Amino acid sequence: MSEAPALVALDGVGKDYAKLASTGGRLRVVADLLRGRAAASVFTALDGVGFAMRRGESLAVIGENGAGKSTLLKIVAGVVKPTRGSVAVNGRVAALLELGSGFHPEYTGYANIDLAAALLGMGAAEIASRREAIVEFADIGAHIHDPIKTYSSGMVVRLGFAIATAIAPDVLITDEVLAVGDESFQRKCVAWMEDYLGRGGTLLLCSHSMYHVQKLCAHALWLEHGRPRMYGAAADVAREYLAWHEVRSAKAGGPRRAHAGDYGVTALAVNPVGGGEEVDPARGFEIGVEVHSPDGRPPVVAVGVVRADGTPVYGTTSELGGAAPLRRADGTFAFALRFHDLPLLPGHYRVRAHAMDPEGMRLFDHHEAPFVVAGATRELGYCRLPHEWSSGGRGA
Amino acid sequence: MLRAMRQAIEREAALPRQPRSAARERALFANFFRRELVTRYLGSATGLAWAIVHPLALLAVYYVVFTQVFRVASFATGSFLAFVAVALWPWLAAQEALQRGTVSLAGYAGLIRKAAFPHETIVHASVAATLALQFAGYVVVLAALRAIGEPVRLEGLLLAVPLWLVMAVAVTGLTLALASLQVFVRDVEHVLMPVLMMLMYLTPILYPLAIVPESLRPWVAANPFGWLVTRMRDALLEGRLAPQWGDAVALAVALALYALGLAMFRRLSPHFEDFV
Repeated sequence: MSEAPALVALDGVGKDYAKLASTGGRLRVVADLLRGRAAASVFTALDGVGFAMRRGESLAVIGENGAGKSTLLKIVAGVVKPTRGSVAVNGRVAALLELGSGFHPEYTGYANIDLAAALLGMGAAEIASRREAIVEFADIGAHIHDPIKTYSSGMVVRLGFAIATAIAPDVLITDEVLAVGDESFQRKCVAWMEDYLGRGGTLLLCSHSMYHVQKLCAHALWLEHGRPRMYGAAADVAREYLAWHEVRSAKAGGPRRAHAGDYGVTALAVNPVGGGEEVDPARGFEIGVEVHSPDGRPPVVAVGVVRADGTPVYGTTSELGGAAPLRRADGTFAFALRFHDLPLLPGHYRVRAHAMDPEGMRLFDHHEAPFVVAGATRELGYCRLPHEWSSGGRGA
Repeated sequence: MLRAMRQAIEREAALPRQPRSAARERALFANFFRRELVTRYLGSATGLAWAIVHPLALLAVYYVVFTQVFRVASFATGSFLAFVAVALWPWLAAQEALQRGTVSLAGYAGLIRKAAFPHETIVHASVAATLALQFAGYVVVLAALRAIGEPVRLEGLLLAVPLWLVMAVAVTGLTLALASLQVFVRDVEHVLMPVLMMLMYLTPILYPLAIVPESLRPWVAANPFGWLVTRMRDALLEGRLAPQWGDAVALAVALALYALGLAMFRRLSPHFEDFV
């Protein structure tokens, strides 16, 4: 059995955008372009990207804002011409880029359906037979007769997605469309995409939702500053991406001292007395937090336990517990929080503390301390729920 | 030069394309063309009437100014009205096509940023819509002039129609070049207006070439548009329909203009998405 030819193949793709300062700069850009030269000063939006997608495969592109995701999708859609590298797309592409495919704001919804059809080279008869299905899927009522410029962003996405569903593309490209629209329409879209993938459709998706990425795509490509950072199974890439985010936000918001005028955590320790990071679940553990108060009023502290990947396990505040802190001579307040037997399963965790104002309304800084729950188990999950096994057959 | 061309071809090859069928371009052109007509002229209450009223009003003003105020000596054909009308319409059509076509891409900015299609279709449709409407107005005015006894020969349309087509080819080429430049440098449309105004007075539209002083005549005669209106007058006022060598030259020039305009447009159009 020979391997199916790639539907989409990119090799060493890069895109530079000319940097502009003035009108004179624009003239120079035109002169450079006409002479077939590279612009003098460029911003590299994308560089060295390559991948291949066969029929029935799905790929998610993930990364921070400005990482080049949209540029990459536009290159595959044929809207942007790459500066370097080669792109081959063998099939009909439907692209939903940045809210809606190519819509003309002055046209009505109906007229835009015809325009989309013309853009795809569909005959009048071909689109006429599908118009009803599009209108029904979009479900925007009488607005279909209004110009697109009067639509809400959700309605634009509805119509765009409805058109994409009707044209039976070989490759469907969507750029964050799932982020817009209400819950029920999102479910409808996800259901349609799953069905589309089940029928052998090919999907190129860009999303910030790791849930959608893992639900819809087998592979993922992580872009960082326009370059591929990781490519592989969606679950692996999504996990690494989330972990990287965790580390980064921990660095950004980590053990920094609060401003002098703010409430701020000055110390956070797990088992402050005679402890270490290792915790014996049977003995529980204690958390010590010291919070600075700029006005001498006793602050509130929020304490939580999260998994190493950032998943919250439990959180509470001193206000909920009615805790009264100990006022120190230097104006800080000391809290102690004790967890008696810890139902946590063995693994790596972190304790987080946030200083809050005395009203418990505003959250100030953010401190973390790691700890390890010792032991080994074959149970699954984060924590052990109290339970009891018995022989079956009772009752029923 | 050769290297630049080879690189251009390589870049061309690297560009992913939707299957670029003629049917698709035709469908797009038809869509844009219809839309141009609807939004520009048929959408507003006075739109279609304005397409006729504007040139008629201009013609009336010129008629009064040149026959009543300046009292220009009557020309060979005798009628100043027919003399100006025959030339003024094609000029106004070309001027409007150039002006509207130059800024036409901005109206489709959203589409250019999000969909892959040959951008020249937008300019083609814009120019075609303007010229088609203006040509319809031209025929109406010629018929009206004939009806009120002006010396207009309707059989002259046999030559006037091909002349309009040659003009359309040349104007499309120029508009493609200007429209692609306008995307990058917004001043194009502002410069175009006064330039067209000056060109109009340098073209023998309101006066015959014969009354231009000898020393200036070669310069005025070198204006291709001057050649065009002279031929229009030959056909519609004098009934001289026989083809000339100049016609072939004009066609060749028009085709060359179109080819150059399209080449420039295609060179720049991959970058519209970033600038439009």
